[in-house]
Amino acid sequence: MIINAKAAFSQEQTDALVARCQQGDQGAFRELFEQHHRRVYALCLRLLAEPAHAEDACQEVFVQVWQKIDQFKGQSQFSTWLHSVASNIAISYLRKQKNWFQKVVSFEQSGLDEQGAEQLGELNGLDKLIVRLPERARLVFVLHAVEGYRHEEIANMLNMAVGSSKSQYHRARNLLQEWYNND
Amino acid sequence: MTKPSFDEFMHTALNDEQSQPAPQRDLWQGVERAINQAQPVQSPKQSNWQKLSGIAACTFAGLLAWQVIMSQPKQDSLANISAFFEQQKQSLLVQYETQPALTSDWQTQLQELEQAELAVKLALKQDPENAALLNMLAQVYQQQLDLINKVHEPRWQQI
Repeated sequence: MIINAKAAFSQEQTDALVARCQQGDQGAFRELFEQHHRRVYALCLRLLAEPAHAEDACQEVFVQVWQKIDQFKGQSQFSTWLHSVASNIAISYLRKQKNWFQKVVSFEQSGLDEQGAEQLGELNGLDKLIVRLPERARLVFVLHAVEGYRHEEIANMLNMAVGSSKSQYHRARNLLQEWYNND
Repeated sequence: MTKPSFDEFMHTALNDEQSQPAPQRDLWQGVERAINQAQPVQSPKQSNWQKLSGIAACTFAGLLAWQVIMSQPKQDSLANISAFFEQQKQSLLVQYETQPALTSDWQTQLQELEQAELAVKLALKQDPENAALLNMLAQVYQQQLDLINKVHEPRWQQI
């Protein structure tokens, strides 16, 4: 068996930082933040499709992580736990952002248009397409294809039927493929 | 050069950590401020009292609005509710005046809710006794109070 030394070292380093954070060491928390904040921001941006909101949500994730770090018992990798916290916060952030009319009359938010996605700056090719997806399709695609959640878990997180999660995923994939092929 | 298949393109993009987007501003400053504020600076009793008073103000406001709507759907309901909520809103804004907010765009959100408030008030001018519209107005007011409370004293969602 080949051991990935770099990954093992990095995991050990993260575990040590988490242990120090659990003792209240803010310096260690800053190191954890530096290691992980970019990936958390990318996840928030993919889910929220709006850089300013993604930045706010990313901050909220780390504030909550600091407050709940005692609850992390090491049963999963820290990054897995962190991403589940981030996914839940981004989803509730999205719900909070809906204005009164959108809450009263439930309708789906469309994604950004091509021009809007281009204006988001330094996104890679796939991310530029993801932010163009309609909201539900985008959320399901990111949670399933990027974050690896099962449709049953996504259905639970997004209050939708498992079948809807699957159909939204296929809808997203078809749209992405169509845009990619036409690009 | 041939274009890679969609699956190849997706696989490459999802595994390329170097091309992940980065935030435009320094996020650590806000996180640091929030975690230091979250530590008990005041005595727990004082802190709890402040939280309770915020919650109580909102609950009381909601209950009173509901009572006003249900008990007297008359011409003066709108003026009563508006005056009452305006007073509540102003007192919360004064209470949190010196406290920094945790999100940068809360005033934009508040303006959006105020626009919604104006739209409902306009509709109520045409149909002053419409209970659904009065209820909607109360909800918009409630959301304004919740927003002001939330950005200044966030009750973090469950992880």
